[in-house]
Amino acid sequence: MIRTLGLAALLAGGATMALAQAKTLTPGQEVDMVLLPKFLGILVFDQAHEGAQEAHAELQNPGELLFQGPTPENSVAGQIEIMTTAGTQGVGAVMLSNNAGDQIVPAAQAAQQAGTKVVTWDSPIPNGQGEDIFIAQVDFEETGRVMADMAHEIMGGEGQFAVLSASPDAANQNAWIASLEEVLGADEKYANLELVETVYGNDQSEESYNRALALVDSHPDLKLIMAPTTVGIQAAAKAMQDEGLCEQVKVSGLGLPAEMASYTLNGCAPQFALWDFRDLGYLTYQVAYGLATGQLTGEEGETFVAGRMGEYTIEADPGREGAKRVLMGPFTVYTAENVEGAAN
Amino acid sequence: MTRVSPGALRLLALVLVLLLVGAFFASQIENYLNARLFNRISSSVAIVALIACAQTLVILTRNIDLSLGAVVGFTAYGTGALVTAVPDLHPALLALAALGIGAGFGLVNGLLVAYAGVPSIIVTLATMAIFRSALVEFSDAQSITTDSLPDWLVAFPNLQLFAIGGVQFRAAFVAAVVIVIFVHLALTRLRPARALYAVGSNPEAAEMAGIDVRRTVLAAFVAAGALAGLAGLFFLARFGNITVVAGLGFELKSIAAAVLGGVNIFGGAGTVVGALIGAILVDLIENSLVRWDLVSEFWREAVLGLLILSAVTGDALLMRRLQRLRIRRDKAAAPVPKEATP
Amino acid sequence: MAAPVLALRDVSKSFGATRALSGMTLELWPGEVHAVVGENGAGKSTMIKIMTGVHAPSTGGVEVDGRPVTLSGPREARAKGVSAIYQEPMVFPDLDVAENIFISATDLGLVQRRGLLRERARELIARIGMSLDPDRVASGLTLAEQQAVEIARALSQDVRVLIMDEPTASLSAHEAGELRRIARGLAAEGVAVVYISHRLEEIFEVAHRVTVIRDGSHISTRPIAEVTPERMIAEMVGREVGNYFRKDESHATPEVLLSVRGLGVEDAFEGVSFDIHRGEVLCLAGLIGARRTDVALSLFGIRPATAGRVLWKGQEVRIGSPRAAMALGIAYVSEDRRKLGLALPLSIRSNVTLATLGKVLTRWGLMRERAERAVTQGYRERLNIRMADADTPVGKLSGGNQQKVMLAKWLETNPQLLIFDEPTRGIDVGAKAEVHDLIRQFVRQGGAALVISSDLPEVLALGDRILVMREGRQMGVIPHEAATQEGVMRLATGQDRDAA
Repeated sequence: MIRTLGLAALLAGGATMALAQAKTLTPGQEVDMVLLPKFLGILVFDQAHEGAQEAHAELQNPGELLFQGPTPENSVAGQIEIMTTAGTQGVGAVMLSNNAGDQIVPAAQAAQQAGTKVVTWDSPIPNGQGEDIFIAQVDFEETGRVMADMAHEIMGGEGQFAVLSASPDAANQNAWIASLEEVLGADEKYANLELVETVYGNDQSEESYNRALALVDSHPDLKLIMAPTTVGIQAAAKAMQDEGLCEQVKVSGLGLPAEMASYTLNGCAPQFALWDFRDLGYLTYQVAYGLATGQLTGEEGETFVAGRMGEYTIEADPGREGAKRVLMGPFTVYTAENVEGAAN
Repeated sequence: MTRVSPGALRLLALVLVLLLVGAFFASQIENYLNARLFNRISSSVAIVALIACAQTLVILTRNIDLSLGAVVGFTAYGTGALVTAVPDLHPALLALAALGIGAGFGLVNGLLVAYAGVPSIIVTLATMAIFRSALVEFSDAQSITTDSLPDWLVAFPNLQLFAIGGVQFRAAFVAAVVIVIFVHLALTRLRPARALYAVGSNPEAAEMAGIDVRRTVLAAFVAAGALAGLAGLFFLARFGNITVVAGLGFELKSIAAAVLGGVNIFGGAGTVVGALIGAILVDLIENSLVRWDLVSEFWREAVLGLLILSAVTGDALLMRRLQRLRIRRDKAAAPVPKEATP
Repeated sequence: MAAPVLALRDVSKSFGATRALSGMTLELWPGEVHAVVGENGAGKSTMIKIMTGVHAPSTGGVEVDGRPVTLSGPREARAKGVSAIYQEPMVFPDLDVAENIFISATDLGLVQRRGLLRERARELIARIGMSLDPDRVASGLTLAEQQAVEIARALSQDVRVLIMDEPTASLSAHEAGELRRIARGLAAEGVAVVYISHRLEEIFEVAHRVTVIRDGSHISTRPIAEVTPERMIAEMVGREVGNYFRKDESHATPEVLLSVRGLGVEDAFEGVSFDIHRGEVLCLAGLIGARRTDVALSLFGIRPATAGRVLWKGQEVRIGSPRAAMALGIAYVSEDRRKLGLALPLSIRSNVTLATLGKVLTRWGLMRERAERAVTQGYRERLNIRMADADTPVGKLSGGNQQKVMLAKWLETNPQLLIFDEPTRGIDVGAKAEVHDLIRQFVRQGGAALVISSDLPEVLALGDRILVMREGRQMGVIPHEAATQEGVMRLATGQDRDAA
């Protein structure tokens, strides 16, 4: 059974539905689109691409949908370059999973001035500048709560745990960790959960693996490693399994069922969560198409129908002042019961 | 009079530096020196040692290979895909495939450097990006996952061969050390291997002495590629989950390990055993830093650079001191040179 | 003996528009030491490169044992028994002696057997009458020892023709004698030895026959007994050489420019004391290892003195760096043109102004190309530098012209004391005389010169006084009037010590 935790999203959607009539997007308008992931060669980005392709076909856009990304060793500079090129070539919209922090802002603003819409997804531009709208996979606060809940359940309500993140300047990861800390501090329920350290494995197997082991060595009483990154959670689970530490230290976080199934079944990573990247790509495309064709204004409170996913509303981003977002939700939490089904 | 050879002297200096670094961290980090640390470091050294060894072969000929990390990544992925497709593949064939894929990449580098005459730093800078992009293309964004790998492969890196107390000697580490020793013996005992040193030592003289300089450089790149390929297989076995970023940054790590290990960056001198110790030193520093509370996440890279720099400097100074001592001793022992008479 | 072991038949070689060799014919017979002489740029190096397969002839052919062959490279030449050793030996500094000797041996099996290698290395070294530890690393060998290693390497490959290119240029007199003995010994064993040298006196000692070449053409080949030095020089230069061995009168003034008392550098030399007057040439003579260059390096601040006093125009000074030395007016024209003297890939004009960049800079720190060209042109005329244009890389010039560019660089600093270290090594007779003239001109105009030279005729021709050193000690100072080659040699070899 799939447990969904999308209350906030449902509430937000319901509240605004009453205020405005949901817009339906007219298909068939021609506009070129660029989907720009952090870098090429990562499964979740390809899944987002599939979702975007699905929406592209559904909306019968005669224009092109380009999937362009930098190579892994050149992510930041490559993203800036692709953004700049997209602006000068006058594409309708760039859909960006930002890995360049605020460094992307000048290129994104230049693209906007050239008439290109900049829609971020997965990871936004931290200061919100140069961005029209952010398609949030889940509410950041929600992420914190989901992680806190998984930690609470796995650790039996008390003990030490640590966070293994990607890079120190990944906007989405940092926001999630911040919200996790906030949730831990705000709710009495989590009073006995102690977050002892946050470390970074830079989304590389080797580094994440070694950092996970270092955490275990530095904190003898550690009960859990929480890794809100698909590379990190897998590396940490493998490290615990290799060193025979699964009984002592559990792993949780955000992971891909296909990669995590064996660890969930053998108890190394009893629970982890994720959203559907295909849906994220699909929704992102819908919004970008609407903005680029002028059918959506992108103003707060605007409500629209995103194809098969139903109605969504544009709202202020609570995490970033002055920025706007569309919240997708919900999370899926995977356990030994449902992981195998999702893995295939 | 027993005389310590310069090579042995260098290894001695290196081991001293290694002990000093260890002692320093032991004084800083609680519960530091124990069998677990050895197990941790030995496991990750297994991979780094192989690429350091590969880099050494190339550096010996006055070249450099920046594409080694990409080769590791590609081979890890390629062998992973192969063994996923053919789960019953014999281990020896899989190892052969890893060597072959790596050697293929090395061949590309070697041909461009040796026969097209393009400087190796340019060639491998380009092929680093090209090999990595080829991996992105080849992988089609799919990851290799642990459960698609055969059990023997996943179990291999942590297979405990023997243990002394809590200190475990695991298969991958032992295999890497055996390979390094094997390459070391080949370099010191095989006559054709001398050509590597000759070419790096004085390319002009090598040409004059009738050594085929180009073929020697090509051979170095091919051998380095093959070793990196093997490292790729080890990488696959250890981490199981292989994405397109696998092995990113290994090229720099391999250079650091080789240089720390006393391999002359200008070619002609150095041993792979030195590179092995260099790899251990780099890993020791890296693993210790992440356990050292004093250094924050954001300063870790800088401190790592600083420590490597001071280790190299310390090693160079120590070396000079030891050498001078040796010369003094030789002078004192040697008879006064006989003066020529016309 | 039906055919020469190696022969060039009417060989010509052009590089672009430049014709380096034209119609060169040379026959080498087993058992002879065949000297080849000619000015720099006469085509000797090109000839060697054709014999060793580095270059292919443009026209004409190479014969081995009377049969035409095509040599594709040094490897094939070696396989046919043709090897060469050079002034700067081609050894591998990181390998030991035995490994150096057998680096390209093919008959020693795949696995290196140290014992066998060492033993065979010893045999070869003994065969040329040297003694060298096969385990020593080559980087610690003297030049003479490195050459011995190269000869042994050639012998290990059954050498039939051994080309020695300026082998004694960097050797002390004793070492050079040893080398000539080795050359004669090899000839006695049936090897054809090609011996190239600028030291005419040694050619008369070693050669059986001598070939003179000039401007890429063959001039003469004669048995040594039929040649005189004067005739040989005349043939080489194609003109009468004026004052090579002539010493003009001293221009020394009473004014002491530099005074050195008890100068020493730890582990190098000690107790060196002398005065140099304005207008004087003081020569430093000695064998290799006498540490004469160290004296120069300490006076130029590269290896500052650790003992003694230095007085410049009567004032005590400390010369701690080349910058300090240059500020006083001391310049050092080094022995090693490649390492310390010139930036070979840079243009002539960049090299000339290298030490005096300030002079050709604008107020804004930019180079004034026109000024640089003018400066270079001035020296080109004054020093008779033969060059295509000022933008040619210095590396393309002949040794003599390189030396002149280096001299120009230092003259541009307007020095009062010029230290020359082996100023005419490896340059031809004509250029030698020109360099001597320039040194004399410099002192006549009020400068002083300290000249280090291993070439005794040069020392006697140039020096107003001759300071002889041996193993880091001053053996004595001989005034020009009392100096003879024998007298200098006796001091340099320690058979005699000046009473002073």
